[in-house]
Amino acid sequence: MTAPTDADVVPVTVNGVEVEANAGELLIDACERNGVYIPRFCHHPRMKPVGMCRMCLVEVDAGRGASLQPSCMLPCTPGMIVDTESDLTKKAQDGVLEFLLINHPLDCPVCDKGGECPLQDQTMAYGPGESRFVEEKRHYEKPIPISDTVYLDRERCILCDRCTRFASEVAGDPLIHFQDRGSQTQVNTFPDEPFASYFSGNTVQICPVGALTAKPYRFKARPWDLEEVDSTFPNPMGDRVNVQSSRDRVLRIQGVDSDATNWGWLTDRDRFSFEALSHDQRLVTPLVRGDSLGNATDDGDELVATSWAVAVERAASAITASLEAGGAESIGVIGGANLTTEAQYVWAKLAKGVIGTDNVDAQLGDGLPAQVVTALPRNTISDAMAPGSAVVLLVDDPKEQFGTLFLRLRHAAVEGDITIVELSPIASGLGSLVTVGAHARPGDVGAVARAIVDGRTDVEVGGVEPAELQAAAAALAARAVTVIVGRPSVAEQAGPIIDAIAAFTELESVSFLPLLRRGNISGALDMGLTPGMLPGRTTLAEGGEWYRAAWGTVPADSGLDTAGMLEAAVDGSLTTLVLLGADPLADFPDADLASRGLAACRTVIAVDIFASSSVANADVVLPAAGFAEGAGTHTNLEGRLSPLMQKVNPPGTARADWLIAAELAWALRADLGIESPESAWAEIERLAPSHAGATVEQVRAAHDGLVIPRPDDAGADRPAMVSFSAPVPTEIVPVDGYALRLVADRRLYDQGTIVQHCASMAHQSDLARISMHPLDAAALGVRDGDLVRVTSARASIELPARPDRCVPRGRAVIPLNRAGADVRALIDLATVVTDVRVATL
Amino acid sequence: MGLLDSVRGFGLTFGKLFDERVTTEYPAEKREKSERLHGRHVLNRYEDGMEKCIGCELCAGVCPANCIYVRGQDNPADDPVSPGERFGFVYEINYLRCIHCDLCVEACPTEAITESKLFEFSFTSRDDAIYTKDELLVGDDGKPQQLPWEDWRDGEDQHTSAWMRATAPSGDASYEGRVAWAGELGYGTRDPEVGQSGGDGD
Ligand code: SF4
Ligand code: SF4
Ligand code: SF4
Ligand code: FES
Repeated sequence: MTAPTDADVVPVTVNGVEVEANAGELLIDACERNGVYIPRFCHHPRMKPVGMCRMCLVEVDAGRGASLQPSCMLPCTPGMIVDTESDLTKKAQDGVLEFLLINHPLDCPVCDKGGECPLQDQTMAYGPGESRFVEEKRHYEKPIPISDTVYLDRERCILCDRCTRFASEVAGDPLIHFQDRGSQTQVNTFPDEPFASYFSGNTVQICPVGALTAKPYRFKARPWDLEEVDSTFPNPMGDRVNVQSSRDRVLRIQGVDSDATNWGWLTDRDRFSFEALSHDQRLVTPLVRGDSLGNATDDGDELVATSWAVAVERAASAITASLEAGGAESIGVIGGANLTTEAQYVWAKLAKGVIGTDNVDAQLGDGLPAQVVTALPRNTISDAMAPGSAVVLLVDDPKEQFGTLFLRLRHAAVEGDITIVELSPIASGLGSLVTVGAHARPGDVGAVARAIVDGRTDVEVGGVEPAELQAAAAALAARAVTVIVGRPSVAEQAGPIIDAIAAFTELESVSFLPLLRRGNISGALDMGLTPGMLPGRTTLAEGGEWYRAAWGTVPADSGLDTAGMLEAAVDGSLTTLVLLGADPLADFPDADLASRGLAACRTVIAVDIFASSSVANADVVLPAAGFAEGAGTHTNLEGRLSPLMQKVNPPGTARADWLIAAELAWALRADLGIESPESAWAEIERLAPSHAGATVEQVRAAHDGLVIPRPDDAGADRPAMVSFSAPVPTEIVPVDGYALRLVADRRLYDQGTIVQHCASMAHQSDLARISMHPLDAAALGVRDGDLVRVTSARASIELPARPDRCVPRGRAVIPLNRAGADVRALIDLATVVTDVRVATL
Repeated sequence: MGLLDSVRGFGLTFGKLFDERVTTEYPAEKREKSERLHGRHVLNRYEDGMEKCIGCELCAGVCPANCIYVRGQDNPADDPVSPGERFGFVYEINYLRCIHCDLCVEACPTEAITESKLFEFSFTSRDDAIYTKDELLVGDDGKPQQLPWEDWRDGEDQHTSAWMRATAPSGDASYEGRVAWAGELGYGTRDPEVGQSGGDGD
């Protein structure tokens, strides 16, 4: 933000005191900023004013005499004289409330909003003590479900237009509207069309009465028995949240307005994910192999409950045995992207500094190499979307995977002067809001990016027509470009994406936002939970000496990634595998390799919160603390650090991840020297090149978090951070005219562990379907709903088909991790792309 | 001090000797309890047997001793427990902590919770001291249930309901003794009040 100049400042007199408003600022906001609160219902700082409720009426003299005016619709003008406490203002407030209460039922005792309700509060503060209306109130059927998670009680609605504005203005899902007229006006959905928005929970949070309530919180608690703490939701955006609990159970998560990240919004998947935390299938005690009588004494077939001492000892002796038999390379660690940044550091130190293995990977073949991600110059979300900039999207559909970033992008596209160029293989939920949809064919995105950057836009490249290439080049010209980059499809290997990155680095003004899956993936890559890297965005070669001095030892050579580890397990050179909240059986793109690899390992040690399929096959299971059950720091895609706070105790004897690493180290006769998340952070701040100057106090104190690396040169004496070097470009795979090129993407609701353990979300995961362009479908004789056989070089699966005009010609889209058919069977990690043939059955 | 002083002193003692006795042989014999004594609670029901408690937790919120634990739940549509959307699913009062201040009774919007005149219990475990909803709920005759460790005498289970015991809702004295609505199991029906001001015109 630029410093205000004199022209930006508007003097306004509020209740006899002269205050300074900003030019264009609404009177209600200017007053609030200067300590004068004007009651309101419809006004919301993140939405356009509508002046629906009239609660904000105040007496304003803008030069033509005092009159009542809605302060939420009134931009400040110089010399305005405002009285928010005059008799006339009070009478107006009193009258508006009396009117609102004509029809508002008095069922506060059974209303989920009771106790934290703006209508209650403002009636107490500004309203009439008694009503003069004795007539019957209007009646509607008590709560009707308008979506899978939201109930609407129309009797309580005060028609403030917040929810409907949110749906159309913010989320772009205009599925709820005002209907009927006069006193019969009501909010409702279209007949037979639910309010199926990924963001519906936000309307519950902003409804100023109890008209909209959330099913997962319905009647669970009342505001006065909730305790709360501000924290960060561990998604790649690092959304700021308020976590609320009662009787040691998390019962609600609300968005907190942070300018830098989520603006107060959350997706439903994150908002309601707390249901999984108190699920009765949480792991609550360590498990080891034992006999069917529950004795942990032999290597039986069952997983039996045991003590931490026994489980940690078994894990440690498995590691020691592997160390002796096959050296450190026979041990591997997969996962860790969902831990706190501190725990990631402690696990990296355990793996690389104690055990001495570099076979560590937080990504399961569906990410980008840390050497690329951590080397790219980054931008902040707000700067990326500042007016006059351009954004390139080369990621999963943000609407499906990164909801709050989608809302920011949508806002910027609608309100701000930004251009959006979409290079992802299929159109995202932004729809027509993107400036140019240059949907590169999988495998060709490097060439498409190269053509745009070099201005070679006269021939078709990678399925993108010259017109689109030209439009894309024009949309990026003379603008600060931010490339939001991830892995839009696991059926396309990372190579072409890295080539596209390499091309974009040549632009004059460019920065990146690496948007990869899994909550704290940025932290994991920063902390070296990836082969060849050490904490603080430095490589083994560059930082080896530095960390050897601090830790005693570091691996000499770069280790294996997840695919490499699983292959090493199959050929017997890797014998002990640690899964840190990872489920390769369900999550690794090559399911067959994952199951062969896990089966071949002598010992699998799983640290997790649920018994996923991989955990169920492990030999030692250590229960971990989940979200809100431990404290630490989160790192988002910008490199923004924000605090994660503990609100409840972990279930049973589950422990924090960092503590599990420390105990395991102890059992291996090593002392990590870490006693708390704070001491882990102190070590990170002391050692990591990228984290110099980011103390735990600073992170905790900053409302919007702290972006690393810090601009000062506190880390000047530390090893250099990794820098980007373009690899040899990946060969382009020629198009097979008879096949469709596969895109395997992700959707919000899938068979993922958390979603499936939330009662309100589990059933929202659809069956897998293959979508293709209607012309491709017609050419194949496929109609909507037909069961088709999809065959790749590897395998074939059967699933229903759906023609979809959003899918470009020559491509087929199958979502990952959906019931019905597993698209992973088709994917071969050894080929850059996967071509499939579709046949009707 | 004169000789007669001590005789004069005993005068009071001798005089009282022939007055009516005020000491009772408790517990063999009990004194009449005052109408509004704050004893242990009951959860009342409507005349049709439905529970009055709607699980709103207002009583739990107001309780200065923090001894009430309530959780609400959606009323099953086919077999509702209370009228309306929500019912008290869990209801517990811990009598090791209750100070019988009756603030919960005043807070209750449905007059579900009231206090009986009983304070004489001799439980021997913490579990017994925590009264559950099943124990607090009045029986099918609208009278408090007698628990094994409670010393009930004839008539002590009378006048425990809201109908008899309402104080002054909203702190407005003109409401004293008047109950906002009808149908108390065991006590019959009463006309609901009209209007909201409590004035003569109602
Ligand atoms: S449902 Fe709530 S948010 Fe929507 S218009 Fe009614 S009062 Fe406003
Ligand atoms: S009488 Fe007082 S202390 Fe006892 S439960 Fe009621 S509010 Fe709490
Ligand atoms: S007893 Fe009354 S105040 Fe307490 S939860 Fe039940 S209805 Fe609410
Ligand atoms: S807040 Fe201004 S009209 Fe509603």
